[in-house]
Amino acid sequence: MTVHSQGAVTSAPQDAPPKSAGLPETPAPATGPGARPPRGGGKSLPTGWLPYLLVAPAVLALATLLLYPLIKNVILSLQDINKVEFIQRKYPFAGFDNYTELLGDPDFWTVVVRSFAFTLANVALIMVLGSLIGILLNKLGKKMRLVLSMALVMAWAMPIVASVQVFRWLFDEQFGVMNWVMRTAGFSGYEQHNWMETGLSTMVIVTILVVWGSIPFVALNMYAGLTTVGAELYEAARMDGANGWQTFWKIVFPNLKPFFLITTFLEVIWVFKAFTQVYAMNKGGPDRASEILPVFAYVEGQSQAHYGLAAAISVLTIVILVIVMSFYFRLILKQEEEQ
Amino acid sequence: MKRKLIAAVGVAGMMVGLAACGNGDDDKAKADAGPKEITVWVMDGSAPKAWIDEVNKEFSAKHPGVTVKVEEQKWTGIQEKVTTALSENTPPDVLELGNTQTAGYAVTGGLADLTKEKAQLGADAWQKSMLASAEVDGKLYSAPWYAANRVVIYDKKAFAKAGVTPPTTRDEWVAGLEKLKAADPATQPIYLPGQSWYVLAGLIWDEGGDLAVKDGAKWKGGLGTPQAGAAMEFYKKIQSYSTAPKDKDEANPQQSTDIVPKGGVASWIGLGWEAGGAEKALKEAGKEADFGYFPIPGKTADKTSTVFLGGSNLAVAERSKNKELAKEWLALAAGKDQMTKYAAETKGALLPNQAAANFTPAAGSFAEAMGKAGVNGKITPVTAGWANVETEPNPIKEFMTKVLKGEDAAKAGADADAEIAKRINK
Repeated sequence: MTVHSQGAVTSAPQDAPPKSAGLPETPAPATGPGARPPRGGGKSLPTGWLPYLLVAPAVLALATLLLYPLIKNVILSLQDINKVEFIQRKYPFAGFDNYTELLGDPDFWTVVVRSFAFTLANVALIMVLGSLIGILLNKLGKKMRLVLSMALVMAWAMPIVASVQVFRWLFDEQFGVMNWVMRTAGFSGYEQHNWMETGLSTMVIVTILVVWGSIPFVALNMYAGLTTVGAELYEAARMDGANGWQTFWKIVFPNLKPFFLITTFLEVIWVFKAFTQVYAMNKGGPDRASEILPVFAYVEGQSQAHYGLAAAISVLTIVILVIVMSFYFRLILKQEEEQ
Repeated sequence: MKRKLIAAVGVAGMMVGLAACGNGDDDKAKADAGPKEITVWVMDGSAPKAWIDEVNKEFSAKHPGVTVKVEEQKWTGIQEKVTTALSENTPPDVLELGNTQTAGYAVTGGLADLTKEKAQLGADAWQKSMLASAEVDGKLYSAPWYAANRVVIYDKKAFAKAGVTPPTTRDEWVAGLEKLKAADPATQPIYLPGQSWYVLAGLIWDEGGDLAVKDGAKWKGGLGTPQAGAAMEFYKKIQSYSTAPKDKDEANPQQSTDIVPKGGVASWIGLGWEAGGAEKALKEAGKEADFGYFPIPGKTADKTSTVFLGGSNLAVAERSKNKELAKEWLALAAGKDQMTKYAAETKGALLPNQAAANFTPAAGSFAEAMGKAGVNGKITPVTAGWANVETEPNPIKEFMTKVLKGEDAAKAGADADAEIAKRINK
């Protein structure tokens, strides 16, 4: 990272033609380690207040849409706000009471463990199945590839709540298609089988939904990545007698490592906060047994009207995600240094 | 460079994700439509259109230029919605609140104190039993509007076919269900989902127990008691004649419009508006509804089962911009004249707030059965914390599902009581 930024800084004055017009044509020797030709050819980067002005709208938008709610949320998490305080607009400061209450609550830890298990299972399935379909896309002929791509895009374009509703109908206890399918296939005990009988079975159905909904992103990205792998690499591998498995691990995987990294971590983030799917499926039930962290925060906050406590849950969720993500950033930085 | 970009995308993705986590309650500041409009929130099935149109017409005649906007709300998730609405600068001016939830809102300061307006509202004429849920610590926070209770609604044809007549005791009821089952295996003798907790409440009261009782200065749950266990045992027995899901309540799927019109249901337990909804849905499906009604039978023939006396109150929001107009609308709607019309419009299926407005129901009607059953009506504990107990996930419902699936009632009840105690004393 340092390498790049220094290079950019040192190159800026060299490239300012109007100012340097009267100076000798030989550029001043580069001061930093970035002793390579400046990027951007002869065009200069604007200086002074202009860059700040240009970046201001983006910073402003980010600050109002992300930073402000985030700060508000942290403040809220330090207050004891329930239904009465909320309606009366009182904001009693509670210090870290919400946090100590949560950290001492076994229910909270159950939800944390469940969130991790849910994320792990989903991301693993999404990455494996998505990559396989991506490879399939690469191997298919033109027409079939188009058909499959369209199918994937349509699955991806499906609004989440609508797809959850469809899944709920499929798995409905009284009129569901799944029970009918099982009965027709000759299995007994599916007269009125409750697919969402336990927290685990509910989570399994949510997992099917989330995996189904996330595969297109991974598969299409994988396909895009595969098109950048040169045909000569495959050819060379074939010449060396590599089988499909070896080709994947020795050629495709190293080439697409950045792709795997970014998609995996994006999926981790998305699955970890998959509120809509889980809540719309069974409202975190039965008996709160399918709640993951965002759903837990919502149920405590909205349904139970413990707004301060819910804010504390979401802050802890952020902390947990940052810790998980820090591994990713370390990985990226390390690679950068190695280069 | 590519990596940096990737890292940036990662950060951006995370930030967007996190922002979505912090679910703030943004003020949905409604456009101020001028001072000459009041908004009234009524619940699904509470206000017949013909009646409320007439109330508004009369109101507008008295207050030229003032229009009344009526917004119909669903019961599901209503507490969150009302809480948010009461915290805003422009809440609905008049709102209907369930009688079990009114005390919970009264203590928040979100409802206008109507104690001084008692005379204007005609409070002297109100039924004492209905007034109880509208008051907290001697102060009036709402006007009782209507009350209703559940009865058994049955398909006359199915009962005739099986040779069953309306039962008067629990034993007769069970024997009848048994006969219905034998007569037509494809039809469920009764549709009773596992989480119909208002029905259970009546059975618990019949045993002499209660959902929660006062224990010194605090409240404690009453589901772990032998009385609740006995009530649940009977509920389980009746429920065994139904193929309804054990983990659903009567509103999801909506029994009146989603279940009964599909056929195959010989009887079910519901309210007047549900019976009406089912009739309408059957008609739309090209079928003829032929319903009979009887009170939920008690242990002996001389006393029908205790029933939960559901109902609603009308309150004025403390932050209403048109409090005076709202109070006048309230006085008009809850007054004797309009309540008389209300009772007539609902054919007595909803009991008006004063005896003088009562409607004499037709023989064999829902209202007649309801009137008989309503004599033994009771309401949930009147305390501010009760509303917290009722909100989803409702511990009473979880208790019912657990017992129906075979868990020990005393153990499941103790778990539920712990949760009730936590919520009710908040």
